[in-house]
Amino acid sequence: MNPELPAAAAEFGATATRVFTAAALGGVDAARRAEAEPAERGAQVAGALRALGVDDLDPRADDEALAAAAALCEERERVALPYPLDAVRDRVDRGRPFAVVPEAGGRVDHGELFEEWRVSTLAGPATVAAPKGGALGSRLGPFVSDLAPVGDEGGSARAEVDLHLALTAWWLLGVGARAVELAVDHVSTRVQFGKPLSAFQAVQFQLADATVAVAGLRELAGFTLWRLSGAPGQARADVLALRVHALDVVRAVLRTSQQLHGAAGVCDEYDISVLTRHAQPALRLPWSAERTAAELAAAIAAEGFEGLFPHGRAPG
Amino acid sequence: MDFDLGDDAARLRARLRDLIAAHIAEDYLGAFTDDPADLDVSQRFCRILAEEGLLTVAWPTEYGGAGGSVWDQTVVREEMWAHHEPRGAQYMGLNWVGPAIMAFGSEAQKARHLPAIAAGEVIWCQGFSEPDAGSDLAALSTRAVADGDGWRLTGQKIWTSYAGMAQWCVLAARVGNGTRHEGITMFLLPMDTEGITVRPIASMLGHHHLNEVFFDDVWAGPGSVLGEVGEGWAVIRRTLAHERVGIARYARCERLLSALGRELAPEWDRLPPAVHAQWARALVEVRVARLLAYRAVHAQDTGAPADVPASVARIAFTSCDQHVAELLFQALGHESLEAGPGAPLHGAVEDHWRYAQAATVASGTIEVQRMIVSKSLLGGRR
Ligand SMILES: Cc1cc2nc3c(=O)[nH]c(=O)nc-3n(C[C@H](O)[C@H](O)[C@H](O)COP(=O)(O)OP(=O)(O)OC[C@H]3O[C@@H](n4cnc5c(N)ncnc54)[C@H](O)[C@@H]3O)c2cc1C
Repeated sequence: MNPELPAAAAEFGATATRVFTAAALGGVDAARRAEAEPAERGAQVAGALRALGVDDLDPRADDEALAAAAALCEERERVALPYPLDAVRDRVDRGRPFAVVPEAGGRVDHGELFEEWRVSTLAGPATVAAPKGGALGSRLGPFVSDLAPVGDEGGSARAEVDLHLALTAWWLLGVGARAVELAVDHVSTRVQFGKPLSAFQAVQFQLADATVAVAGLRELAGFTLWRLSGAPGQARADVLALRVHALDVVRAVLRTSQQLHGAAGVCDEYDISVLTRHAQPALRLPWSAERTAAELAAAIAAEGFEGLFPHGRAPG
Repeated sequence: MDFDLGDDAARLRARLRDLIAAHIAEDYLGAFTDDPADLDVSQRFCRILAEEGLLTVAWPTEYGGAGGSVWDQTVVREEMWAHHEPRGAQYMGLNWVGPAIMAFGSEAQKARHLPAIAAGEVIWCQGFSEPDAGSDLAALSTRAVADGDGWRLTGQKIWTSYAGMAQWCVLAARVGNGTRHEGITMFLLPMDTEGITVRPIASMLGHHHLNEVFFDDVWAGPGSVLGEVGEGWAVIRRTLAHERVGIARYARCERLLSALGRELAPEWDRLPPAVHAQWARALVEVRVARLLAYRAVHAQDTGAPADVPASVARIAFTSCDQHVAELLFQALGHESLEAGPGAPLHGAVEDHWRYAQAATVASGTIEVQRMIVSKSLLGGRR
């Protein structure tokens, strides 16, 4: 038993953070710039990703690569990097980025950046889809765009779907972890009633609860990678479980962090506000938390669920 | 025991709904959207309400009101908030600036300001919070220094709603070198006074809501102090109690919950059962929030202390606002990311979600409300 992410993956994550927060991208500022100038975001971010070696990273290659991809996903979303890096990676060997969608065609973040996508619903099979129209441009989905089916790619995408669901849960882990850090920074420096906010137990307890939630999500995220690499194609309930938990934890933790920022929590000069808005597509696509939980219950019933006792599928 | 607000209230509600249906478009989302025309809509609507005698329904007749009850006022605030507050930025003047001037103002201030508010002609903003004085409002440091027969004001306010639209400001500043509540004094100040600068703050609420306001050696003439010099804290306490029950958030929640099924049909039936269950629970939560609001209004009506019931109600309906926002997003799924007239419920759900994020901070955070409630509970035993 060893719950640690392989050292190489952790190191890769740290390198990615350095790149994402260096002056050229500027952390969350990249998201702010992208929202002001959506057309520029590919040029801005793609080069930095290529320099990181993202093109050569195939999470299907082995456990180490899978872990490295997960670490990268976490770091990406800590700064709400305005580019689908899993899409860059999938493009290398498929020609088209891949996404899980709620229905044929579907709706994906940054959809309009690529001419064609390979997409799949939960049940599959995969199809080819192309963007129709521009991005929503809304405050909660600045880069979200709709796709329309344009052809049949054929074949089951089950393993890809599972991988995608797991890795996008790692994005959410990044959001949650960063939201806690931002709250810690804020309450340590913001003084009210003659003390830093961090001196108040009501504040400390909120931070403690948020930390516990993110810690649990991190363990589950690691466990799910392990399940995924151990039994590819048989981890549907595991990845859905991770996704449900990520949605629950991250919605709550963002709320806590916003609250601890006071009015600053809704103001875009503060990273927490931009992070909260830009995380919404990952929190709402391809399905709501409740829809995902319903899919999870169905998957457990059909395929069982790892634990100390049997669940779901009748033995034998 | 009787929870019926009465026939007059029911008639008033019906009249307000007719007026709203006649003058406010179905897709109206309030005065602070990205479309400046929405502010004009609310300004026009305020004048219509004023002509109908409904803008200041519960104000005494001597101040241009209709002499109605606090329950009439409750109905007005429910109907207004439910329909995206078509009184726009003016609600602040109606809800607490006017009543504060009635309670603390000089005859000259009453004569000058109350008719203008009652006529729906003026927008007020509230200059309380400062960069270093948020939850700890008594730490405010904007200074007022006597100068001849008036005052010179210097300092900075932040998060000032509608400052860019307002003609007048109720400003809290400190006279003398006192600390905490000592010396806090309220000023009534025209926003076009030289030395006042407004800077909008970009937020998820849009571009026209929150602002910073800078006061650089601003002249406040004689007669600009509201109440006594140094007695501003009493004014603040009273105004905040009004403000806290003044926003009937539960009413909008209930309207959106009611519209959801119609909007989504036939997909509504295909939603996971958990969403249906949460929707039913949300209706219960909204009802409880409304009853707690009524309890606070009842205290006001009978002259009982209203601060604590106001905080209890506010905790209930700001939490409810956020729960309902999230539930609506669960029901809409990926459509929740859409904004604008083409989005589900004309964008009302998306708008509600963004505003709900600030509900537990605006007008005193939920933690401050909790402090008020627990203090009342524990009193000397803490
Ligand atoms: C939409 C909106 C509109 C507003 N409009 C106006 C306006 O028109 N005029 C105006 O003057 N102000 C306005 N405000 C400001 C509002 O009153 C303040 O934001 C609020 O009082 C909190 O102050 P703060 O933002 O500085 O947060 P802070 O006081 O810095 O608080 C940050 C966090 O710490 C918590 N906290 C603070 N002290 C304690 C403690 N002792 N124990 C436990 N927790 C604590 C808070 O609850 C909060 O969660 C508005 C705010 C919003 C969001």
